[in-house]
Formats: sequence, C-alpha cells, structure tokens
Amino acid sequence: MTNPPYVMQKLWLYLYFPSLQLDTLLQQSSDKNIHKQAYIIFDEAKNQACQLNKAAYQAGIRLGMGLGTASMLKADLQVIPYQEKITTNKLNNIAQDLYLATSDICFFSDNGLLLRVHNMLNLYGNLATYWQHIKHILETQNVHFHYATGHSPLAAKLLAIKAWDHITDNQKYIKKAVSQCKLQHTELPLKAIQKLNRVGIHNIKDLLNLSLADIAKRFEIDIVTYIGRLTAELSHPVNFFHPKPYFDQIIELLFDVENIQILQKPLIQLLSRLEQFLKERDLLTQTLNIYLSQREHKPIELEIHSQQGEHLAKRWETLVCLKLENITLNSPIFGIQLVASKTFIRCPDEQDLFTSKQGTLSSLQLTSMLQAKLGKDAVLSPILNDDYRPEQTTLLNQTSPKTAINVSLFALRPSFLLTPPQRLQEKVYLTSGPERIETGWWDSEFIIRDYFVAYNTVGQWYWVFKTPHNKWYLHGVFS
Amino acid sequence: MHPTINYLKNKNLLWQANHTDHNKKNELHTGYQELDNALQGGFPEHGVIDVRSPLGIGELRLLLPSILLRQRQDIAELTTLIAPPMDVNAEMLAEFGLSLERVILIKPSSAQDTLWSTEQSLKSGCCHSVVIWHSCLSVAQTRRLQLAAEKGNCLLFIIRQPNQEHISLPVSLGLHLSPDKAGINAQITKRKGAFSKKSFTINMHHYWPEICQLQHSNVITFPLRASQTG
Repeated sequence: MTNPPYVMQKLWLYLYFPSLQLDTLLQQSSDKNIHKQAYIIFDEAKNQACQLNKAAYQAGIRLGMGLGTASMLKADLQVIPYQEKITTNKLNNIAQDLYLATSDICFFSDNGLLLRVHNMLNLYGNLATYWQHIKHILETQNVHFHYATGHSPLAAKLLAIKAWDHITDNQKYIKKAVSQCKLQHTELPLKAIQKLNRVGIHNIKDLLNLSLADIAKRFEIDIVTYIGRLTAELSHPVNFFHPKPYFDQIIELLFDVENIQILQKPLIQLLSRLEQFLKERDLLTQTLNIYLSQREHKPIELEIHSQQGEHLAKRWETLVCLKLENITLNSPIFGIQLVASKTFIRCPDEQDLFTSKQGTLSSLQLTSMLQAKLGKDAVLSPILNDDYRPEQTTLLNQTSPKTAINVSLFALRPSFLLTPPQRLQEKVYLTSGPERIETGWWDSEFIIRDYFVAYNTVGQWYWVFKTPHNKWYLHGVFS
Repeated sequence: MHPTINYLKNKNLLWQANHTDHNKKNELHTGYQELDNALQGGFPEHGVIDVRSPLGIGELRLLLPSILLRQRQDIAELTTLIAPPMDVNAEMLAEFGLSLERVILIKPSSAQDTLWSTEQSLKSGCCHSVVIWHSCLSVAQTRRLQLAAEKGNCLLFIIRQPNQEHISLPVSLGLHLSPDKAGINAQITKRKGAFSKKSFTINMHHYWPEICQLQHSNVITFPLRASQTG
C-alpha cells in the first residue's frame, strides 16, 4: 500500500513592524533614559500620529491622533516627521538578514514583510524550529514586531496587524481567528466598510457567511477580490525579494551632527553591520564609499581603501577615522550611507607562527593606513620603466606592482634626480664621462646629452650634462 | 585572557612561541670594513641612527649595503623612504640590488605627517629599514621613534644637515659625515655602550670606483672642512 502523495498546505507568515522609523532612530542612542521620553512619528500628509513609543502610549496618545491632541496629552512630547525612506531602508535591512534563514520574502506593505513558510519546512523539519530561527534574527534587529501565520497572505497580514502573535499551521484555528476580525482591520476601503456596516455586516464572519457570487452581485469587485484572496479561493500573486549582492546601508541620524567626533559612533555601527555582512558570506572588501549627507551642501564623498582587503570593523574604523581627520563639515550632517560595492572571497594568508614579530600589520595594511591619512599621491612605490631618458626611468605607482619588468640597468646613476634639471651655477671638477644619451625622437622630449660625474669644491658629487649648445645642467646628486 | 594563563605567564612558567630566544645578537655588517671595525661589528639590529651629513657626499650610499643586507635577510618586508629632499632615482636602487617592489616612498606634506608616518612604519613590524630626511627633531620625538623602532624591530636612519643646532638626541648611534677623497669621512659622535673616537675614512672605492677622486689627478686639494663651517 502506498501513501497518498503529501499535499503541502500553503502557509504564510506575516511580520508587522508597527514603529520601524522610531525604533531605528531610538536605537542609535546609547542613553537608556531615552525610552522614558515620549516620542511620536507624525505623518504630515495625513495629519496623524503613525508611530509611537511606550512612553507616549502611557501618556494616552494613540495612533491616528492629530498633533494638537497629542501635544495636549503630553507637554514634552518629541515629534519626528514621518519619512518613508527610513522605514523602507530598515525593512530592506531586515529582509537582507532574514534571507539567510528563509528564501521567499516579499515586501508586502511599507511596514511589513511576508514570508512563504510551507516550502521552507522541508529544510527546517517543523514550524517551531523555523520560527525559532526567524525570531532569533528579528530579536537582533532590536525593533518591535507582531507576527501571525495564515493560509493566505492577506489572512496572515490581517492577524499580524491585529497583533495575534501566534504561529500555527492549524487551519481551523487560523480561520476562527480570522473570522473574529472586525472589518476595520481589513484593507477594504472606508466606503466599502460603511456600505457593509449598513447592511449589518460588522466582522469577517458575517462576510464569509455570504457566498462569493452573492457578494459579487451586490458589492464592488474589490470586496470580492479581497475576500477571495483572504480565503485563498483566489490566487494572490506576490513578488519575492532578491537580496543585493553588495553592502549598501544608510543611517539617518536622530539629530543633526556638526562634530566629526560624534559622527564616529554611528559610523562604527554601520561598520559592524558591514563586518557581519561580510563575515556571513566569508568575503572581504578593499574599498568603502561613505556619503555624508549635509543639510545645505552637497554630500561629502569619502573613498577608503585597504590594499589587503578587510572585513573587521576595527580595522576599517582606524582607516575611516584617519580619513575623517582631514575633512571639514560645511553644514550639519543628517545621514550616513556606507557602500561596499566590490567584494571578493577571503583566502587565508599564511603566517609564520614562530617569527618573533611584535608589530601586527602586514605591508598592505600599512600602505592602506598611510594612504588613508596622507592621501593616495603621498604613498608611492617606485617601478622601473624601459626608457633611456633618466627622468623617465622611474615611475611612481600608487599600488605595489605584482610583476617586475625586465629593464636593462646602467651603472653610475645618481640616487637623487632634480626635476627639471637646473643650470649649473658652480665650479665643478669632472671625474668620469662623457656618457652620451641621445633618444626620445619619437615624442616631444628629444634629448641629446653628454653626462659626466663631477664634484664641487665642498665635495658633493653631481651628475651633470652638457647639451649640444654647450650649456651645462645639474641633473642628479650622488647622495 | 584566561586568569590561569595570566597567572602562569606572570610566574614565568609558560613558554610562548614568540618569546623564542633570538641569540643572533651579532650586529649587522655595514658593508664597509672601516665602519665595521669602528662599530665593532656593525649597525645595531634595531633603533635610531642619527646621520648628520651634507647632501650629496655619499651619505645614502653609505647606508645602502646594510639596507640591502637587511632586505636579503628577510627580517621584514619593506624599506621605507620618507620625505627625500629630491626625486629618488629608482634605477640606482635597482642597480645596487634592492628589489623595488619592496620599497615604498612616502612624500608627506608636513613635518608632522613625516613623523607620524615614520612612527607608523617603524612600529608596524613590516619594515626592516626606514630612512627619513628630517631636520628638526626634539628629544621627546626621538625617544618616541626609538620606542617604535624597538617595537617593530626596525632600523631608522635619520639624515639631517650637520649645521643644525646640536642637541644630544637619545639615539642608538650618532654619525657625523664629511666628504673625503676616497669615499667619506665619518666620526661616531654617540654610541650606546661605547666612547666616541676620532674620525676615520671609509673607503667607498669597492662599490663605486668612479665616484672617488682619482689619486693621480692634477686637481688641487680643497679644504675638507669647508662644509662644516659653511
């Protein structure tokens, strides 16, 4: 006897974040007393409070209140305007993190995420284990959330917004909970709800008692669609999220910052997120771009390089701090964006365990550090160029070359060169020479020079040359 | 650290790999017989060497053999040249045998940056030799550089003009150089654990036969000490 094929029941998990912007802003502050202060996020377009913290709730402020009522209830209320960007950003970050535990994530609304659970259960075995993983990730995000499972995306959402906070795959239990919901919690337009109320329908249960065909006859099509999707009779197409392959995060500051020192703290927060991102994927990055958004000026762009490639926040922190020392702020900073667009897989480097070195840097780390402080043009590594003209033999590179070019070398060259060569002003004694260099006819710097080694009256060794016009120049010093 | 490990370390009962006794205390040969004799071996393994010399008499050439030796010994990776007074000619360094990919050149814009990059290079542990061209140094700055050099097991050469006001800097070795027919005239002005001696001539003919005044030349002799008075 064979078992009947196992039919997978569809199951969705909805995560509802009631105060994403507020949580994001408040978690920047290390001050523990900040939660005693009442904060609301105020939506100016709708003229109502859309997010609030516990202190505000205790003062009697509720969602949907106007600014006047809210400020009457609490005198020292802090009001922050609603910015959709912050919420979307944070939601994106949460989705990025959740992606490590679950594959199908959908941005279902601007403050909630929808996860497709049923196909992940093969991996996790049962729902409890799955939820444990998801919950663990959410707790590290340090935001308030409500959750619920449902047999359709809309059912899960409805229950989560109602703060049902249950994880179950029992269809009966879910349906019972859904049917008890009031119409106000649904996504139906206000007009439709009023219409339904007028005919005595106040909750989902009343609505579900009617057949879909009857509803279609009497009411608008969107009510039918909603009910159909809620009961999973109609399919509900959703677009799933694909994580970005690179790191790009923004921090909006709780208050404007004019001091570079204060900027370091949120930057460290961003860098430790970068570290986590890179560590989870076993990646390194060589370049970080930091954009500091200024209130009244163009954003400051910083590019920080590490020749070796790093993932540790601590190492990046020193480089960033060195870079920050060199900039001046024209106007206050309100946001920081950190982008690490190019990453590569880390390969462990070999180190001798028994060398008695006390310094901790590798040569590439040292170069990166020097370049961060002094600028890229100040730290150079010389390479040889295949040219007979002395001034073109040495090229200065910003990164250390991997392969050495084979160049024919000449004996008797000075250690220092004067650029450009200067007219010889003093009396010298020639000791060896001439060595004629006549080259460069293919470009504008054609030279015919007879080089001599010479010394002057105080015993300094010079490299001098004579042009065909009998003019003498000092070109180098044998230091 | 675990308290037990800490305890054992304090009691000196724990051996750590990085405490291996490096018995090779013998000093590094400078590449010049006369200088080796005067220093009874060679330059110290790490520390600060103060070289007071006019420009262009062979002061860098005096240091190159020991830098090359240190590069070949693989004590650490890099040779760092900081704030040279003119453009460094890489051809000369390569011709002498230094591998250029292990040389870095730093051109700081201020004196403060010069000292900062020197200290960072010294204590990084990835430079075996650092050469800086820097004129004014205080005792405190030198002391700091000395400590950094000890930490990174690095040798720092400070090249500066002889006419700078003379204060005794806490360095491992002080050299005073002046030009000479055969090569360079040196006097050890300061040395840890030894007395300074009379000046002596270092013959550079071995390395650079062309950059020596020929014995049979008909050039009149010039006053050797001219550079010090001027």
